[in-house]
Amino acid sequence: MKSRLLLLAALTILAPPAAAAPVAAPHIEAELIGENTAWLPGSTQWVALRLAPEPGWHTYWRNPGDSGLATSLEWTLPEGFAAGEILWPYPSRESLGELTNYGYDRETLHLVPIEVPAKLEVSATLHAKAKWLVCKDICIPGEAPLELTLPVAAIVTTDSAAATRFTEARARLPRAEALAGTFAVAGQELRLEIGDDALAEAQAAEFFPFDNNLVNHGALQRVSLEPGRVRFAQAQSAYFAAMPPFVEGVLVVRGAETKAYTVRALPGEVTTVAAPPMVIPPAAPVSPREAPGLLLVLGFALLGGLILNLMPCVFPVLAIKAVSVLESRRGDPAAERAHALAYTGGVVASCVAAAAMLLAVRSGGEALGWGFQLQSPVFVAFLAYLLLALGLSLSGVVQFGTQLMGVGQGLTEKNGYLGSFFTGVLAVVVASPCTAPFMGVALGTALTAPPLVALLVFATLGLGLALPFLMLGFFPALGKRLPRPGAWMETFKQAMAFPLYFTVAWLLWVLGRQSGIDAVGLALCGLVLASLALWLWGGAARGRSRAALAALATLASLGLLAHPVIRAPAATAKVAEIGQEPWSAARVAELRAQGRVVFVNFTADWCITCKANEKVALGSDKVRAAFAARKVAWLVADWTSADPAITEALAHYGRNGVPLYLLYPPGGGDAVVLPQLLTPDIVLDQLASLPQGD
Amino acid sequence: MRTLVTTLAAVLFAGAASAAPQLNQPAPAFKLAGSDGKQHSLADYKGKYVVLEWTNHECPFVKKHYAGNMQMLQKDLTRKGAVWLSIVSSAPGKQGAVDAAKATELTLARGAAPTVVLLDPNGEAGRAYEAKTTPHMYIVAPDGKLIYMGGIDSIPSSDAADIPKATQYVQVALTEAMAGKPVTNASTRPYGCSVKY
Repeated sequence: MKSRLLLLAALTILAPPAAAAPVAAPHIEAELIGENTAWLPGSTQWVALRLAPEPGWHTYWRNPGDSGLATSLEWTLPEGFAAGEILWPYPSRESLGELTNYGYDRETLHLVPIEVPAKLEVSATLHAKAKWLVCKDICIPGEAPLELTLPVAAIVTTDSAAATRFTEARARLPRAEALAGTFAVAGQELRLEIGDDALAEAQAAEFFPFDNNLVNHGALQRVSLEPGRVRFAQAQSAYFAAMPPFVEGVLVVRGAETKAYTVRALPGEVTTVAAPPMVIPPAAPVSPREAPGLLLVLGFALLGGLILNLMPCVFPVLAIKAVSVLESRRGDPAAERAHALAYTGGVVASCVAAAAMLLAVRSGGEALGWGFQLQSPVFVAFLAYLLLALGLSLSGVVQFGTQLMGVGQGLTEKNGYLGSFFTGVLAVVVASPCTAPFMGVALGTALTAPPLVALLVFATLGLGLALPFLMLGFFPALGKRLPRPGAWMETFKQAMAFPLYFTVAWLLWVLGRQSGIDAVGLALCGLVLASLALWLWGGAARGRSRAALAALATLASLGLLAHPVIRAPAATAKVAEIGQEPWSAARVAELRAQGRVVFVNFTADWCITCKANEKVALGSDKVRAAFAARKVAWLVADWTSADPAITEALAHYGRNGVPLYLLYPPGGGDAVVLPQLLTPDIVLDQLASLPQGD
Repeated sequence: MRTLVTTLAAVLFAGAASAAPQLNQPAPAFKLAGSDGKQHSLADYKGKYVVLEWTNHECPFVKKHYAGNMQMLQKDLTRKGAVWLSIVSSAPGKQGAVDAAKATELTLARGAAPTVVLLDPNGEAGRAYEAKTTPHMYIVAPDGKLIYMGGIDSIPSSDAADIPKATQYVQVALTEAMAGKPVTNASTRPYGCSVKY
């Protein structure tokens, strides 16, 4: 026996390296290769199907995705041999138009374990019929009978040429022991969560399911990655049948090196993944240590806040404050400083509070953006109440200083520090529709930064908004440049009521677009009741029951806000302007596939900047004619009411609010992002600079 | 609050939020030019079972079934009263794109028996149904609702030798529906070449 094995060993050394020649098929080369130069009786050895497609062509993974076909092997083996299943290296995504496949666009070894019997003759030949589908834009199925003949030996050595290939192939195999995960199917999507130390250094992660019918392969895979934990969410497949008992697949983790793991997930609770890709990540999250970057961001935030003072929705509120400043000019400087600080405190505190809320809700997985509060019809109606009340106060129906803001303060009328503080809060609340032009990018960036930095940015923003009054408080000399107080002040104050009434009218229009005419009717009744309450409170009527009636009217007016009609979405769909159609990512892809230039207007009815741009720039005859001439497809993404898909798209461009204007060039390529303040010339120039499509 | 949340997009192509075709819901409407030169809309065939077959005559998976299986199905099911619409969603210049004359020529040459071949060069009908592969099959019931979507049969391969071993999903589904039974496998995995939009 021993001598026989020695003889075999000798034969092996003398025998030429045995490998069948590769088979050339259209656009691909196929070959069966062995890791060792000989069969070792009674062992498990590795062979591989090597598929080498031409550049641009690819073959398929075990789950091929939207189309395609997994490669397969049919073995014909000598007696005693047994072949295992293919060990699949992790695939890559091959996107072909609107479809997504999982496969290999390079030479790939499909490793198969072979059990070699204990008793063997001099040599043995394995036969296998390999079947594959090789695709570029078209597909060619192929098959080839392959064989591998190796001598039998007592000592086996590794084929040096094959060794490198097998080592490389093993590096692309998912680790066999499965990571545990949790999955959920909810909201028409598959969610998956995996927590493991393997993810500690991960910079990117991707999940490939084994089952073909789980997810819509072409849909965006949203990923939330943090040290040691990853969450995925992806739209479920149209062929999703029933909740599976478990979900298996491959997790590819990219960090210093790329590693793949098998994952086995069991049903459980998984939160969705919110607005995904901040595509600006190269600019890296701002960290406190990166002082210059942070200072620049803070500088912009300060400037943005300063400019907010001039916004149409903020100005009337400031008018109230201006009047009170003028009136208190003869007061002592210390009190003026205290008022300025109280006002600044109100502004900064409410900015920080809004940011904290936004961050908290976002970390809970909700997709929100700046201005989200205006997506709530109840909030819009409440804001209308508030502004009407302020207007009536300016008109002289009621004096607020003592009645509301100064309650319990025991301070003099209009000079209560609490009053100043709340004026600051109010300024932030009414400023929210006007945050767009200078804050869109800053807010988007801020929210990708660590929370502390984000809060700092928001605080600076508030500081900018409060700055003019802060200056006035601390440098009374500036105040001397203001006109002398006098009877004109009452007139000015009353005149300032009218911008507020106009704002109320606009808010009602927004409400109408959100919830329909019934909601507007209800809100109008509420406004009348609120006016009644204020009139009673203002002392115009006499009698003991005055306070009770006023309270009743207030309650009734606020009670109307709780009516479901206010929250109901508008019954009729919005009528798009001729030549415009609603936005969807799919529609963009479709129109681009037709070679059209695509323009997307991300807008909302409550966004004044948006409306101004639409009127002045987009609505101009020049722009419309130019759009028509280039057959530009005009899509409108309306964010008036909450829409996660739009929030996601905004986040994609690092934005947190509207407006956002995108112009997609014909024939592919990234979209051009237009400025947030448009003129007809800006639009025309951008359009002219696009390449001429076919 | 988490210290750092980095979000990444694995794919740039955003998910289609548009209404995907759904079983037991009204099938998406379409109006397309036929190989007979007339316009055909799904509504024209209300009251009948309609089989929709996405096709591309140059695709190997289509060729596999046009070795005889598809023609046999077309003849069998139309004889039982169903309408068979073969739809070509290949964009002009791409694989499988045909005009009316070429479509008729192919039908004759292959001995095929669809009710009519519909031309969808813009891919509108294909996208409305989210047709992904050729073949990709749908069945619409007389009330206009979608009762089957998916593959032509149960063995995803390009080898005609597999056909006799496979479950003929379309034939089984239509036979069940016509007998007033619920469709056992109403949603199956489509396989084949990608539709050349």
